[in-house]
Parts: sequence; structure tokens; C-alpha cells
Amino acid sequence: MTSVDNNLAEKAARGDVQAFARLVRTHSGLVYRVAMRILGTEDCQDASQEVWIRVWRNIQSFRGESAFSTWLYKITVNTCLSTRRKVRDREERELGDELPYLPNPPGGEDDPEAAALSGERREELFRALERLRAEHRAALVLRHMEGLSYAEIAEILEVPDGTAKGWANRGRAALLVALSEEGGSP
Amino acid sequence: MIGSNRWEMLERIGAYTAGELSGEEARETELFILEYPDGRRLAESYARMLVLLSQMGEEKPEVPAAVVNYAIRRAYVSAFFRQAEDFLAGVGQAYLGAFVYYLGLRRPEPIG
Repeated sequence: MTSVDNNLAEKAARGDVQAFARLVRTHSGLVYRVAMRILGTEDCQDASQEVWIRVWRNIQSFRGESAFSTWLYKITVNTCLSTRRKVRDREERELGDELPYLPNPPGGEDDPEAAALSGERREELFRALERLRAEHRAALVLRHMEGLSYAEIAEILEVPDGTAKGWANRGRAALLVALSEEGGSP
Repeated sequence: MIGSNRWEMLERIGAYTAGELSGEEARETELFILEYPDGRRLAESYARMLVLLSQMGEEKPEVPAAVVNYAIRRAYVSAFFRQAEDFLAGVGQAYLGAFVYYLGLRRPEPIG
């Protein structure tokens, strides 16, 4: 896929709109789901469109040194982070006296129905994610939903590996706190 | 142990549950989880949360057609204007060249 993508990106950089259209069709899922997970459902459509405008405008700067998808992640995350900065980040909650435990799902761990991600749980998770600082949320999404390595996350967020790891660590802890306060019924 | 540096411990248990600790750090955290009920409950909570995150990660939301169409349409419009700009610049340059030649400010280039 990488060489196909690089080839298409090269053509798009020369003004080939059909090559660009193929890139959009192939990777629109990546852009949309990352935007949805960082920004929530309300803003993800506008952000996705903005990402593709930026990609078209800057595709000549794609040198093919990293995978096209890494470059695309970078533009997507940067667009989402700048969108989120317009709305001031909420302060992450301090850890209260109670430790943030999540109870067992109602039917227990072995109940497939209870274990499935219901609409209600998804909403709880989204609300909890919204309470995280943008950088922590981005690192968490890239690590635990996109399954990227810390080296890849560091490249996308343009920070040292240790910082990427630190943000994911803090994001995990803050999410657990937020989830336990959201009713804690995942 | 949790009381002394709560965030640090919370983060460490999270990293352990995610399989990201190794060596001495991993052993220490494991011991803590085994010895203290608080630590065990936190590790279980993290495990549930990581399952939720990975379940959400597996979902592939459908991209609205409007997003794809808008991006492609914008690129076509932008490419059209780029070409029009190049064309007009070319025509303008040709006219300017002809005008300069007409005024006799430049000799024709020799053929061959």
C-alpha cells in the first residue's frame, strides 16, 4: 500500500486530481475516525474536510520519507488539535479521595451482551474522553484505538518518544478518573 | 503506597496493565497489585477500560459521502484555477513577447 500511496501522492503533487481522489477514497476512513475520536461526533465532519483541503494544499511537501498514512495522521491530528485549542481545554480533574474504580459490567465479564460496546457505553466513553487535555487524548487515541507504536506517535505529534509515552500514561489515568465519575458502568 | 503519590501510582498501574512496563518497575508494580486490594481493583478497572478502548478502536464509522465529495470537488476547482492561472500567464507572456518584438526591442532568435 505504501508504494501505491507514494505513487498516488507524487501524481497528486503534480496536480493529478484523480490520483488525489483515490487517496481520499482510500484514507477517508482513517481521517474521519481519528477526527471523531479526538473531537467527538459534532466537529469531526468539518475537521475531516479541513484535513483534506490541507492535504491537497501541502501534498508537494510530502517527500515519501515516511509512510503516507503517517503523514496523513500528522495532518489529521494537528488539524484536530488546532480545532480543539479554539475551544479552551477543560482542566483535567485532580484525583479525589476516592480511587477511580470501574465496576464489573452488570452481567459479569463473561456475558457477551454486557461486554459489547453498547451505545450508552460509547457515549460515556466519548464524554469521558472529552474531559481529557487534547494532547493526552490524541496520544491515547493513537495508542489504544489506532494501535500505533510510541515511535510512530512521537513522529505524528512531533515530540520525543518519552513525551508521547508520558501523554499516553497521563491520558490513561485521567480517562479512568473521568470514566469512574461518568457513572462507571462500562 | 497509593496515598504517597497517587497520580504516579495510578499511571504506573495503567502502564503495567497495558503491558508497557519492564524489569524492576514491572516487578514492583506487580507485587503491589498482588499485595494490595486497592492496586488489584485499579488494575482490573484499567483492564476493563482498555477493552473498551480497543472495542471502540475496532469500530469503523462510515464516512459521510459529503466529506469525500467535498474534498474531491475542492481539489478539482483548485486544479482548474491553477491551470487557468498557468494558461493566462502563458498567454500574457506570449503577448508581451510579441509586443516587445513589435517595438523592435528584441531581435528574432536565429533559426537552427
